[in-house]
Amino acid sequence: MSALTTIVVAPFIGAILIAILGRALGRWSGLLMVAAALASFYAAYTLLGTETPALATHQWIPSLGVSFRLRADAFGAFFALLISGIGALVAVYSLGYDTHDLGRARIGRYYAELSAFMGAMLGIAVADDLILFFIFWEITSISSYLLIGFWYERQAASDGALTALLVTALGGLAMFAGFVLIGLATGSFALSEIIADDARREALIASPAFHPAMLLVLAGVFTKSAQVPFHFWLPGAMVAPTPISTYLHSATMVKAGIFLLARVTPLFAASVVWPLIVVPVGLATFFLGAWQSFRENDLKALLAYSTVSALGLVTLAYGLRAPEQDVLQILSHATYKGTLFMVAGIVEHAAGTRDLRELGGLRKTLPISFVLCFLGVLSMGGLPPLFGFVAKEALYGSLLDSSMLGAQPLLHGFVVAVVVVANAFLLASGLKLLIGVFLGKGHGAHESHGEPALLWLPAAVLALGALGLGLLSSTDASERLVNGLSSAANAQLAVSLVPTHVGPLVLTLVTIVLGVAIYRSRTRVEALQQRVDRLPDAQAVWDALIARLTRFAEVCSEWWQNGSLRWYFSAILLFTTGISFFALEVGGISIATISIGFQNLGWASMGLALLILMTTIAVVRADTRLGAALALTSSGFLVALVYAVYRSPDILLTQILIETVSTIVILLVLYFMPPFRKDGLSPALSAWNATVSGLFGLAMFVFVLLCTSPAFRETRNLGQDYLARSLGQAGGRNAVNVIIVDFRAMDTIGEITVLVVVGLCVYGLLRARRAEG
Amino acid sequence: MHESPVLRTVARIAVPLTLLLSLRIFEQGHDMPGGGFIAGVIAAAAGAIPLLAFGMGGAARFPWWRLSVLGLLCSIASGTVPLLAGSTFMDHVILDFDLPLLGNVHLPSATFFDLGVYLIVLGTLMTLFVEMGLEERRWNS
Repeated sequence: MSALTTIVVAPFIGAILIAILGRALGRWSGLLMVAAALASFYAAYTLLGTETPALATHQWIPSLGVSFRLRADAFGAFFALLISGIGALVAVYSLGYDTHDLGRARIGRYYAELSAFMGAMLGIAVADDLILFFIFWEITSISSYLLIGFWYERQAASDGALTALLVTALGGLAMFAGFVLIGLATGSFALSEIIADDARREALIASPAFHPAMLLVLAGVFTKSAQVPFHFWLPGAMVAPTPISTYLHSATMVKAGIFLLARVTPLFAASVVWPLIVVPVGLATFFLGAWQSFRENDLKALLAYSTVSALGLVTLAYGLRAPEQDVLQILSHATYKGTLFMVAGIVEHAAGTRDLRELGGLRKTLPISFVLCFLGVLSMGGLPPLFGFVAKEALYGSLLDSSMLGAQPLLHGFVVAVVVVANAFLLASGLKLLIGVFLGKGHGAHESHGEPALLWLPAAVLALGALGLGLLSSTDASERLVNGLSSAANAQLAVSLVPTHVGPLVLTLVTIVLGVAIYRSRTRVEALQQRVDRLPDAQAVWDALIARLTRFAEVCSEWWQNGSLRWYFSAILLFTTGISFFALEVGGISIATISIGFQNLGWASMGLALLILMTTIAVVRADTRLGAALALTSSGFLVALVYAVYRSPDILLTQILIETVSTIVILLVLYFMPPFRKDGLSPALSAWNATVSGLFGLAMFVFVLLCTSPAFRETRNLGQDYLARSLGQAGGRNAVNVIIVDFRAMDTIGEITVLVVVGLCVYGLLRARRAEG
Repeated sequence: MHESPVLRTVARIAVPLTLLLSLRIFEQGHDMPGGGFIAGVIAAAAGAIPLLAFGMGGAARFPWWRLSVLGLLCSIASGTVPLLAGSTFMDHVILDFDLPLLGNVHLPSATFFDLGVYLIVLGTLMTLFVEMGLEERRWNS
């Protein structure tokens, strides 16, 4: 297996192993996940130095042009390193995290889900086929739903998980539609091919689907990366255990949207509409996230909103056509935010609360966390010598470059001012966190649980990363790292710890002064924030929308699924009738030309037909349900005899068995059926029943007639074709069975899946009803 | 119905015979009338006999739904193996190989798919029988 395939496959193998062994291993299954993460990390590392991006293609659905196509360019490999590296740290951190003694099976499941999530994220990083990308994207949505809902007994956890799933899955569907449009317009689903091929790109731009596709893909980006107005699900998802919040909601999953933005920027950035959408969304998210972050008193909510803000910043960079910022900003955010989330987990573990108003003076009990938090906040606030400072300098440098917004000084000035103020708010909420938790007076005697090494070690790795990257940022290696891994071709971003230009330095100083000022006058700022009423609460709008939708669905199902078996049966029969005649109409097949002759019918067939007719009349005229059932069974066995006459042993056998089993089932359920109502049906109902049965009977009659007519069999010779290929291609003499298990195996997969689901539903529904008593 | 000694005596003979028939029908399915679906139905009929003869005892306690899930996994796996080998999903091959004692074995890989169908039909039908039967017992008591 190539290194490229290993990146994706290793975590999934880990997930399967953990799912099997988790019950026995309990929390130690975390070590399996660490191993899987390190395998992916190493595989991604080997791909970094290659000249041309590694490519691995496996056939998947060639008839639709979809393949299992992986490709690791520098940016993809960077993303894979980030995901697997932080994945390993989070797995270690989880080992020390207090999961309230939930039992081994639950912990095992946690690691299995986390590992599968990591595999899907790595899949996103290296998938080159758009459909494959979508599938990994959806796996992250589903696994994050399971992970956010880890404490599913709690109402808040299941609500938060559901909202996150609905928002991201809806965005994912929109994105899928966008991908399909791209695929149709360019004739390929291979992203790197589309980007490399000018003809395909121009075909997309010229196509009327260009703007719809762009909007749909952006919907996926904005929902996944929690951009305004879809930002509300992220703070709601903070009910998850802290390792989950660290991994999903700061380091990786929310960055999947950003990653997609980077991937599609070459396709769409040429459009004039692109900055008009992406810039306002990014700017609004950046500012509102920072603003809201400062309001919060819950540690994780504060960090969640600052994450929203940081994601807005990267979106803004893509909107301003400055994609070379991406690696720098993503790396800077991942290091400091991961640290801070992990520290928040340690604080909660030690003090039993996350509320800033109940915390304080913890620097003596949690000295290591204090130092780590200090480093994280410095980087978040953009202070030297941390990596955050370098990132902020470079950002300001790009922003001040006047070519970015064209010749519109007013707009330019506005964007710069908003960015500075938002950064100041981020610094202020960092100070609020650091000072509120660790300095000042303690609030009563918290029962401290200390700082387990398993918890602070991973945080220390990330914090030292932020410090080390900052200190080393003046070296050539650092610039090569930031530019070489960027999604932008020929990125020429200058990064340096020592300020080289006056403009950015001035802006940084303004930010710091403003940030400290905001923090010092926080009571006044908070009063101002109280007065400026909350932005129209997106969560409330969403909840109302979902409530309406649910009500609508209820009304529909109450009308349609009214519990009457007759009604269901009528619907099924009418649908079958309709689609049969529709097929005839579309196929241009007329039955007028078919000659009906009785000369080929033997006495046996005639006699059988007569008997079937008699039993059928008996079904209709029966006075009891048991009588009707028995008459129906006899009719079925007689039909089986017809197959015997026409020498079709397979269908004969099937028919006899089905009749037998249906009789058993009928006898089993007879007891629970409502009284047999035959007399006293209203004339309207009788007429309806007669019409439905008559139409269905007519449809079946026409079809049988058609299929058995010589003219039809000569022109549409599917049966002969199957018979001819059965032995040679599938190695079976029984063409009927070969059709089921080989030629039409996909149909069978659908059917058996339905069968399994029906069985599970019967099991679940009846067991649940019995359990209720 | 559960008290009939005749039914019990017949059941003791009929169940193994029906099961054998089911296996035979499954085995010959690729070349002669038979196959996973029919064989699964026959096996379910064999499973229904003890339920009728001896009541909702031993056979009812078996988690039949797991059997159908196992069958689905088996069918999907049989289609996935060719995918992993670089071919397309459900691209079945014919395996011909020699085994000691058995001689030449002619085994289309679709047989594993058919085995899944067999298990699903058996598992689902038995789930239906058992759950309906348990329901009846509850109503009677």
